[in-house]
Amino acid sequence: MKKNNQNTIKTDTLAIEAKGLSKLFGVRRALDGLDLKLPQGAFLSIFGPNGAGKTTLLSILSTLARPTKGKAKVLGFDLNENSDDIRGQIGLISHRSMLYPDLTAEENLLFIARLYGLKDPKGRVDELLDAVELTLRRHDTVRTFSRGMTQRLSIARSLICDPKLIFLDEPYSGLDPHAVDILDGLIAQIRDGRSFVMVSHDLQKGFDLSTHVLMLAKGKEVLFSEKENLDFEAFAQQYRATVGMGVV
Amino acid sequence: MNENVKVGGILDQLANVALVLGLLLTTASFILTFTIVPVPQSNLNVVPADQPPAEIGGLYVTNALMFSQKIFYFHMPVAVISLGILFFTALFGIMFLIKRDHRWDLNAKVATEVSLVFILMTMATGEFWTAYEWNAWWVWEPRLTTYLILTLLVIGYFILRNAVDDPERRAVFASVFGILAFIDAVVSLLITRIIPSSRHPVITREGGLEPLMVMALVVCIFGMIFLAYGIYRTRIREQRLRIRLDTIKERLED
Amino acid sequence: MESKSGANEQVVEQANIAHSILKTPSTFSQYKALLAKDIRQEFRTREMLTSMGIYALLVLIIFGVAFSQMPSSYEIMPISGGLIWALIVFTSLLGLNRSFSHEKEEGSLQGILLVPLDRAVIFLSKATSNLLFLAIVELITIPLFYFFFLSSEIVADTLWLAVIPIIVGTVGIAGIGTLLATITMSTRGKDVLLAVLFIPLSYPLLFACVSATSAAIVGDSMMMSNYISSVALAAGYDVVMILVSWLLYDYVVSA
Repeated sequence: MKKNNQNTIKTDTLAIEAKGLSKLFGVRRALDGLDLKLPQGAFLSIFGPNGAGKTTLLSILSTLARPTKGKAKVLGFDLNENSDDIRGQIGLISHRSMLYPDLTAEENLLFIARLYGLKDPKGRVDELLDAVELTLRRHDTVRTFSRGMTQRLSIARSLICDPKLIFLDEPYSGLDPHAVDILDGLIAQIRDGRSFVMVSHDLQKGFDLSTHVLMLAKGKEVLFSEKENLDFEAFAQQYRATVGMGVV
Repeated sequence: MNENVKVGGILDQLANVALVLGLLLTTASFILTFTIVPVPQSNLNVVPADQPPAEIGGLYVTNALMFSQKIFYFHMPVAVISLGILFFTALFGIMFLIKRDHRWDLNAKVATEVSLVFILMTMATGEFWTAYEWNAWWVWEPRLTTYLILTLLVIGYFILRNAVDDPERRAVFASVFGILAFIDAVVSLLITRIIPSSRHPVITREGGLEPLMVMALVVCIFGMIFLAYGIYRTRIREQRLRIRLDTIKERLED
Repeated sequence: MESKSGANEQVVEQANIAHSILKTPSTFSQYKALLAKDIRQEFRTREMLTSMGIYALLVLIIFGVAFSQMPSSYEIMPISGGLIWALIVFTSLLGLNRSFSHEKEEGSLQGILLVPLDRAVIFLSKATSNLLFLAIVELITIPLFYFFFLSSEIVADTLWLAVIPIIVGTVGIAGIGTLLATITMSTRGKDVLLAVLFIPLSYPLLFACVSATSAAIVGDSMMMSNYISSVALAAGYDVVMILVSWLLYDYVVSA
């Protein structure tokens, strides 16, 4: 892991550069003037109590929601003006599979590959089915899959455009141990050269994977730091204090 | 947010003036209508004054009922204005989609509320007229049907707003539906006039409005416009104060 | 963590090659992919088709019950145009309500929105698939209507002209219905809301289509004089409403 980090922070461009990002829901501030700079190749774990703005931040950065105020660049492209350039280079792994239950594994992946306009959709799909160990089940409909298999296919789906920046929205929720292993393995394999942003409630896991840590409460930054400067115990202490503060 | 919820200022003061002026003018036209404006002798081209009652939509219409035409001085202005305000709903909707500023969404919502008031007044006055002149509370006459559809569109607008929790999404959906509703209202008016419904012919009035009639009508239209603006602006002010209060509450919680 | 690496080295390699696997996809190929997905899914589950078909049959039965006390020599022809449209509207409401259920079920629509593509393509593909499914149901139910209610009547020679308003009307319903179904899928009480928004908005279209369809069935010369203008107005409604829906779709689907 350590070795990877040194290798991957090689470019000067930032994966994410946000300034004064705010999102209002009526009078409620889901996100309140957030600044963020994340180098390429980093793994950012976002922590915070419910309603702290974690998911809002993720949807804004993944172009699914627009900020009320503020500007952000993702992979060097402006979020408001060049969202299509960003979309071609990001992937989102969420706890929802984004798959069609009545299509087969192969059909699901081929559909999304064609939508992205891959040069060789079939080749790419074969490759990914292999990577998530679902080649044998490729002609079965997703409805017949177990939770873990669905999640694996969902990961393959998210990686189909070979994203440079991957968003993970509580990817571990509801996974069986085997699926957790596979997800861990996949993340480790694609780790090199890519940036990650993860929202997780699993403190230990999120901390272990990360190179950078961001803690949010009420839409504001409580802590942003490289992991090297942090001690897990002290961090966990602060997390508990923040969660306590965030209880509404 | 704060710059959007400014209360007071010249427009809010004008709102009070508009309300008073509107009430005065409407009352004036009301008095005019029932005092010096003459009763028309042949406002229905299908029933000349010297001929027996004609059958319209299975009902007999006579000149004895011409006094009921007085309601027209009230009915026509509210009908025109309700559609006019709906135009602003659509316009504010477009502005919101371009600017993404919730001030426009609030404007659109309040404009639609005012429009609903005027549409209901149109329906009520229209109903009185129908009941008196055709001796039936409801007929599927194209004008009436169009206004029923308009009422449903506006009520649908508010049901839609209530069915969405996320304010951003609510504003987008309401803006889009507001634009569609206005276009639909105009198309409905056109279509029901071009295609005659076989059961109930559209009754056309011929010109020949006397100067006094025109005057009463114009006074009423201006009165209604002032009233509409006064109500709109007062409601905006109330809503902005409410947003301000909510913001303060939210701050206090922190 | 490195235990699974054996089978997956290709993926790792792929990461190091700069973005080479994407080409700029054509809008038409994206449209085809979306449409093919809808069609494949529907023909596998037949959810929309069977539910719409059965519902249409039930509406026909209710029509039959409604006429059961009529004298034997009643005239059904002048109202059959209206009945056909009542059948189409109720059936299509049911279908439109379901048209986004698969997109919502597992958040697939979010997945589509993450792809760089023109949002209008989503509208066009969904409207096309809705139109296709509505047309299939109409192909079965409208002949069935004729069989149940008109087969003993002497219908006019102009009957075939009823096809044109039915096509024009169905296109309009699919267009405006797709936009409204996108709005209502993420609201509370979506089934009722779709009807509340859809029926007033489609009123002008219905009015024109009923006028033209009735004229074609009755063939009366006075009614036929309205036929052309009714069809033209319905087509005009289609053009205006579909254009506006197409322009506004990006806002709705991204909200």
